[in-house]
Amino acid sequence: MTRKRQLRFTVIRSLVAILIALLVATVLIFISAEGKTFMDKLQATGEALKQLLLGPIFRFSKNAGLSFEAKRLLDIFAAMIPIIFTGLSVCVMFSANQFNLGAEGGIMLGAFVAAMVAIYLPLPAGIHPLVAVLLCGTAVSVVMLIPALLKAKLNVSEMVCSLMLNYIIMYVIKFLMNSFLADKSKGQIQSHRFLESANIPAMVNDPLFIGAKLTWGFPLALIAVLLCGLFMYRSRWGYSIRMIGINQEFARYSGMNVGKTIVLSQLIGGFLAGAGGGIEMLGRYETFSWNALPGYGWTGITIAILAGNNPYMVPLAAFFMAYLSKGCDLMATYARVPAQLINIIQGVIFLFFAADRFLSKYRQKLVVKSAEEELARAGALKED
Amino acid sequence: MLDFLGKLATPEFFFSIIRISVPIIFATLAAIVVEKAGFANIGLEGLMMFSALSGSLVSYYAGSWFWGLLAALATGVLMSLAMGFFAFRLKTDIILVGIAINMMGSGGTLFLCKVITNLTEGKAMASTTGLITRALCIPNIDIPLIEKIPFLGGIISGHNLLTYLAFLFCILTSVMLYKTPLGLNIRATGENPNAASSVGVSVLKIKYTAIAFSGLMSGFGGAFMSMAYAQGWSQDMVSGRGFIALAAQAMGGGECLGGTLSALVFGFAQALGIKFSAIGLDSNLASPIPYAVTIIGLVIFAVARNNRMKKRHTLAAVSEAKAKK
Repeated sequence: MTRKRQLRFTVIRSLVAILIALLVATVLIFISAEGKTFMDKLQATGEALKQLLLGPIFRFSKNAGLSFEAKRLLDIFAAMIPIIFTGLSVCVMFSANQFNLGAEGGIMLGAFVAAMVAIYLPLPAGIHPLVAVLLCGTAVSVVMLIPALLKAKLNVSEMVCSLMLNYIIMYVIKFLMNSFLADKSKGQIQSHRFLESANIPAMVNDPLFIGAKLTWGFPLALIAVLLCGLFMYRSRWGYSIRMIGINQEFARYSGMNVGKTIVLSQLIGGFLAGAGGGIEMLGRYETFSWNALPGYGWTGITIAILAGNNPYMVPLAAFFMAYLSKGCDLMATYARVPAQLINIIQGVIFLFFAADRFLSKYRQKLVVKSAEEELARAGALKED
Repeated sequence: MLDFLGKLATPEFFFSIIRISVPIIFATLAAIVVEKAGFANIGLEGLMMFSALSGSLVSYYAGSWFWGLLAALATGVLMSLAMGFFAFRLKTDIILVGIAINMMGSGGTLFLCKVITNLTEGKAMASTTGLITRALCIPNIDIPLIEKIPFLGGIISGHNLLTYLAFLFCILTSVMLYKTPLGLNIRATGENPNAASSVGVSVLKIKYTAIAFSGLMSGFGGAFMSMAYAQGWSQDMVSGRGFIALAAQAMGGGECLGGTLSALVFGFAQALGIKFSAIGLDSNLASPIPYAVTIIGLVIFAVARNNRMKKRHTLAAVSEAKAKK
């Protein structure tokens, strides 16, 4: 199949998958819409869909119609930061066929470690966040050694192991917060304030966009994308990670160190998730008050699937997910459709994106067409 | 310490172990059958969430636990068949299908709960706990005669209907796998699908049957969660039991009896955690015990399996060497 046709197929397939998901969403919105008559409900559905699809970057007003809203776009960029990191983390691990689902616990542990460094380890301003982020990445890497080594040495399912670790991480952090680290002067359970020096400074903090704040975490995330892409496609290690993902036995046969690579992929995945958690915590919060897993890890899995495990596509997929998530929030506020609709949309898109045979007939048609053209060309050459 | 052990050696404690293990046993049986058919269903967690929700809702609207239970089973089976469609027809990686179902099971159930019960206003944490009364729960059963036995009677009698069904299904599943043609076909499909299909077994049909069975078991597990273990559905109530079941399947060596025993071990860990927090240990330190036990259990099982394999290989090598002589 020619490159152009391949691209066309990928784009059409993606669009159809998204369309199906939106169709499912529309039906669910219609069911949950308020209104007595059918027409009322239909109108409410239209309103809700408008919020979902256009709300994230446009504002509606009665007289001016649609107007572009820079603040909301910046909010989406800010929301992309943690999920770019978890997306990359999952990309690396899934590329090696390691279904490690620990990004969820990883990002929470990363955020926690960053908060601890920010409170209890005084350092000069420029170095403080850097040290914090490196430390939390390393901490999560160390924790990921458990599923990685168990998988490489004993062939224990890294999936079950990492899932169990998520719960353990969450409860241990809650325990530490409750018993030792909480600021007792506050009503709710939260840590003491971070030191000023630990904050990741804002890149955009324009008073014009009230409340809109984008930290330097965003360019950092994009740099991580670039590094991750270079690592996966331009380095020896990245190559062996991908080869093991494609065919582990063949990789072993051709002399690659499979065990080492399995461990490596999960160490890198853990580092990325941890660093993402740290950057999120230091950029957006002043105290640590998470008391449940944040859900970024699961979104990261969706992003990796949407991106086809290609790090370069992660920002696009993250933008899409952040956009949808923002749309669902707006819909919950203005149209009273529960925001958890995002989970269903996410699940449906996920299923169709991961489906190999989805639209396979159309693909077959394109392949046949390409082959016929090639034959015709070859025939024409012969006649000459 | 002795005092604490004394507290453990009561019928109530053993009773609670069995009670806590029930959803894990159901999910473990589900995991065992699909594993025998040659694939893994990691969506058990999500399936149980959906079944738990539909069970409690239908039981409320129909006013009877029986319809609730049926709805939970139907939900489990239908959703698992849909999983099968994606996995076998559209060739999605079965693990990814499972992840997607779990994703939907966590937030999607909350969405459905809010939409159906209209508890949206001002309530971030909607649940059906307010709707389900004692009468809408699946009943407990006192076994005559046995309940009179001291100590043992207190452990065995008075359990929920589904608890007895769980142990019955443990036996039935084992019989199904090893004594019926269907079981033979399931195992053949798992061991070597090409060989199975060469003797006329429809591999696809067997795979659908296996995943539907896992849905049925998840339906039981979900119904137990929302209509027996707790009164009503609440968010993330299954809290990892579907995943623990995957570990129990591995630890039990993929057999029904072993799996059920492993599930009981996890039940024990959780019951112990509850007891610990009752004597003043922070519940956040007691709650992760079953998850930690799961990892430890997996490691012990893996080490034992490796040793067994090594021994077998050595024996084979020795006998081969002897034969050559």
